[in-house]
Amino acid sequence: MGDMAHAPQQRRRFLNSNATQRLLAFASLIGLIVFYSLASPNFFKFENMVAILIATAVTGILAVAVTFIIITAGIDLSIGTLMTFCAVIAGVFITMWHGPVIVGVLAAILMGGLVGLISGTFVSRLKIPPFIATLGMMYVAKGLSLIISGLKPVYFNDTPSFALIAMGSVTGAIIPGFNIPNAVIIFFAVALLSAFLLNRTILGRYTFAMGSNEEAVRLSGVNVDRWKTIVYMVGGLICGVAGVVIAARLNSAQPSLGQGYELDAIAAAVIGGTSLSGGEGTILGTVIGAFVMSVLVNGLRILSVPQEWQTVMTGVIVIFAVYADILRRKRA
Amino acid sequence: MRRKRLVTILIVVTAVLMLGGFAAAQAIYIPVISKGFQHQFWQAVRLGAEKAARDYKVVITFEGPENESMVDKQLDMLQTDLAKNPSAICFAALDSKAAIPLLQEAKKRKIPIIGFDSGVDSDIPVTTAATDNVAAAALAADKMAQLIGGSGKVGVIIHDQTSRTGIDRGTGFLGQMKKKYPNIQIIGPQYGGGDQLKSTDLAKAMIQANPDIKGFFGGNEGSIIGVLNAVKELNLVGKVVVIGYDSGKQQLDAIRSGAEAGAITQDPIGIGYKAVEAAVKAIRGQPVPKNIDTGFHWFDKTNIDDPAIAAVLYN
Amino acid sequence: MADPLVVMEGIEKSFPGVHALGNCRYDLNPGEVHALVGENGAGKSTLMKILAGVYQRDSGRIIYKGREVNIPNPRAAQHLGISIIHQELNLMPHLTAGQNIFIGREPRQAVKLFLDEKRMNELARELFDNLHMDLDPRTKIRDLAVAKQQMVEIAKALSFNAEVLIMDEPTAALNTTEIEELFRIIRQLRDRGVGVAYISHRLEELKQISDRITVMRDGKYVDTRRTSEVEIGEIISMMVGRTLYETARNLKDTSGHEVVLSVAHLQQGRTIKDVSFEARAGEILGFAGLMGAGRTEVARAVFGADPVQSGEITVQGRRVNIRKPSDAVRHGIGYLSEDRKRYGLALGMDVEANIVMATMTRFLGLLGIIRRAETRSTAQKFVSLLSIKTPGLGQITKFLSGGNQQKVVVGKWLVRDCNILFFDEPTRGIDVGAKSEIYKLLNDLAEQGKAIVMISSELPEILRMSHRIVVMCEGRITGELTAAEATQEKIMRLATQRESVVKTERIAAAGKGA
Repeated sequence: MGDMAHAPQQRRRFLNSNATQRLLAFASLIGLIVFYSLASPNFFKFENMVAILIATAVTGILAVAVTFIIITAGIDLSIGTLMTFCAVIAGVFITMWHGPVIVGVLAAILMGGLVGLISGTFVSRLKIPPFIATLGMMYVAKGLSLIISGLKPVYFNDTPSFALIAMGSVTGAIIPGFNIPNAVIIFFAVALLSAFLLNRTILGRYTFAMGSNEEAVRLSGVNVDRWKTIVYMVGGLICGVAGVVIAARLNSAQPSLGQGYELDAIAAAVIGGTSLSGGEGTILGTVIGAFVMSVLVNGLRILSVPQEWQTVMTGVIVIFAVYADILRRKRA
Repeated sequence: MRRKRLVTILIVVTAVLMLGGFAAAQAIYIPVISKGFQHQFWQAVRLGAEKAARDYKVVITFEGPENESMVDKQLDMLQTDLAKNPSAICFAALDSKAAIPLLQEAKKRKIPIIGFDSGVDSDIPVTTAATDNVAAAALAADKMAQLIGGSGKVGVIIHDQTSRTGIDRGTGFLGQMKKKYPNIQIIGPQYGGGDQLKSTDLAKAMIQANPDIKGFFGGNEGSIIGVLNAVKELNLVGKVVVIGYDSGKQQLDAIRSGAEAGAITQDPIGIGYKAVEAAVKAIRGQPVPKNIDTGFHWFDKTNIDDPAIAAVLYN
Repeated sequence: MADPLVVMEGIEKSFPGVHALGNCRYDLNPGEVHALVGENGAGKSTLMKILAGVYQRDSGRIIYKGREVNIPNPRAAQHLGISIIHQELNLMPHLTAGQNIFIGREPRQAVKLFLDEKRMNELARELFDNLHMDLDPRTKIRDLAVAKQQMVEIAKALSFNAEVLIMDEPTAALNTTEIEELFRIIRQLRDRGVGVAYISHRLEELKQISDRITVMRDGKYVDTRRTSEVEIGEIISMMVGRTLYETARNLKDTSGHEVVLSVAHLQQGRTIKDVSFEARAGEILGFAGLMGAGRTEVARAVFGADPVQSGEITVQGRRVNIRKPSDAVRHGIGYLSEDRKRYGLALGMDVEANIVMATMTRFLGLLGIIRRAETRSTAQKFVSLLSIKTPGLGQITKFLSGGNQQKVVVGKWLVRDCNILFFDEPTRGIDVGAKSEIYKLLNDLAEQGKAIVMISSELPEILRMSHRIVVMCEGRITGELTAAEATQEKIMRLATQRESVVKTERIAAAGKGA
């Protein structure tokens, strides 16, 4: 066998690595930024960078949540409306019941975890396909948001500190003028923590393992049902964080918002190299993917490209990204 | 290699798309941010805005979120447009309160804000170009009372109870009924989110519960098309008086065929035109009134083709 | 003799509608390899899965190290020291070798949530070193060849301090070199006192590796014999319950037959190097070689399933251009994949639908409605012609035996009037009884004037069936033999004749062969 067979195998290993896809997404992100910066003086301004960051934050957090689930070869369509549901829960605690802000925030996040736990149980124990289970949950969460809120937005006007969760700036307090909204900081914190969970913990290991070959994990004596439920629960918790962030940003819980956000999040994850067939994906990739989408749209807006074309370009980018992934696999 | 080619294609396509953008660089730039985009009504507003842009030689962009629940996407648009150093901004807020921080930033930077359609619920806008929806809905109530003979049950379906238009049309119609026609019993109002299907279901349920219902009022295009579907599906065409709001092809056809008695039309083209016009005046430091009424009209089978009416209708 | 490690007695097992095992027994001593053989469906895997805790027995006793035990799940089996390597490898391709070995019992940090990856890789390396395996625990499974993946499975099994190791068809996907390596490891384990339960179809292998052989048939125990005291023919007759007719047949000289397919200078990267050959009407052309020699690649290329850089294909004297499988089919070339389930059959559909699958357009009536009467009669014709054993045309192919599935695929191509048929490993995974039926079918097809190209890794099969034999090695054709001159040794020598090896240095191929 010797050297002849060895060389191609090494090459394959290099091309196969997740890093390639991340690099590709990262390169397109840098490409976009450079291109837009040259095309318009208004693009690479602190103000616009903040606009991009904040436009990415919520979708980004949701994308991180769904990355966990996609890696298990599942899908979660409920993340968008679940986010809204959690936002409404925060509103219930804070505005309707006049509870402390912190209680409302915790309640929202825990509710996300609870709903995730239910979805996860449907998927793992009742064996309902994730697509269906979470599709159902999408409607349930949407309906409950409307019911609880009484079809009206719940405003947080009595508690000005709540809005600061997203729109205040910790960095601005430390470095005057460097006003990065907290929503963005929360996004990065969630991403960091998630990356750590995925790469360093037992939860992350089983997340990848289940997505790679669930039966093998089961035969290895791992309680697959329990871990899968936990993964959906973690996704739900992160959606809860997204709910708090969007509520704080809008200073209100908008009960009819949320549907459609799950698709943006899934697209971001896929652009970032997460494989819909499971077993592959990184948080860094997902974060980059989310930025690719928001930078693309922001730049087109800065260039005053008509909105209908912005939508077309987003679609093109998603297809390009997935095609690039296929090319990579083919070459490998 | 292949990757390089992808990037090249991307750059070329984008470059083609932004040719218009470069032209905008020097002129007066006014972004118009509406509440929606695909909806016929908003496209008519866009037509008016573009006409004003040509007349006053300014550059505009017209944007709006994909549906009227995407409050945060609208804020993203507003924020991006602020980064482009516009001379003024025309804005129809989905949720006024959520937009306040950004509007305050605009005020700080002395960028005049022109509200249009439902406007912005705050004192920041220099002016608001909008239909007087309360008066318009009251006119619809008058017509309804006249057509059903002053008594009986009337169902009301409004798109929502949070937006300015929803509130005004609801209170305008209901208020007039209460004040002038005590013998008319109102069923609802119910809220269908402006969604045709949902409004259809609502209308059907209302008819099932009240078989003797004599008339229906729908608060916007989506709501009234829902009502029309329900009436058609239950074979009640001609037996129930249907009065709508706005235009759109389906509604116009219904009015021509007699399925719908008539409708109130705002003047969406006028809204767009007057909003941009007001922005230009504000930039030039000319005085503008606090409220600009963009007008409304009653139209039915008899006057639908009058040039004056036809001009404000859209398909 | 030491006390037996495992004794299974009176094991009964029923699945809904099937009495899978009846009064079965098996025992295993420390430090021996005890093979379990039988036709497909004889119950070998079921019996071993009961031992491994995958299935539960209905009745019977399992005595492990002198104690009667209950094995409710795989985890319990592992705790006892019983590990199984399944036929389909159970690995996670996206994870590394080390991660796969320690899945479910990862070394953790002081805080239990966190993994200790470094320690895990050290442990994995120790395991590999112990077995003299050359493997980096940080390599992802999908980057490893099947043989190496299997090594990982073995290492994983042993990491449970297994005293009993069950291997279900471990050599199915390995080439000769790799099998040698596997046997080396098995012997090493045996010498350490591990009891190895070895399930295999390849009877020749058992002679090399096993100490005892237990034969099963139709869910029943037949007999246990010492390997050294039993002949292969005897085992086969125990398996099939009858003496198998296995004398070599008289192969006709087909050199005068018309050449119907001629392939010249086929070239595709490293996998196909200047391949030229001819196939004649009425003959079986055997393609021999080791796994990965490029035989399947050649067949797929001729069939248009994979692109080629250059090469000429002539069918019945006419130069043809084949870019996709539909072109090949139009010229009467059919390809029967080695992986019937993936490429050959719509498993969820019935026999009739599968037989007419490739010729559907021929049966379309007005408005594209399928003329069922005709499809039914066509399917019926081929079911009897090929003697496909099925309860009816409506039988879902998933429930047919491997041999009969193979026949359905053949039927599909015959309906298409294919005169040139490529059979890729036609008897893989098919039990001994059904094999001879497939052989008969191939012979009949050749008699009828079809040109058959048969790719096979089993030398006895090649020798028995082929009129001519083409041998490939590393993408090249290294030789062509007539039936008369071919021997196992000659084929093996050609199959291992690497390009890089200078003639004088030619390494004598391992005399044993496959």
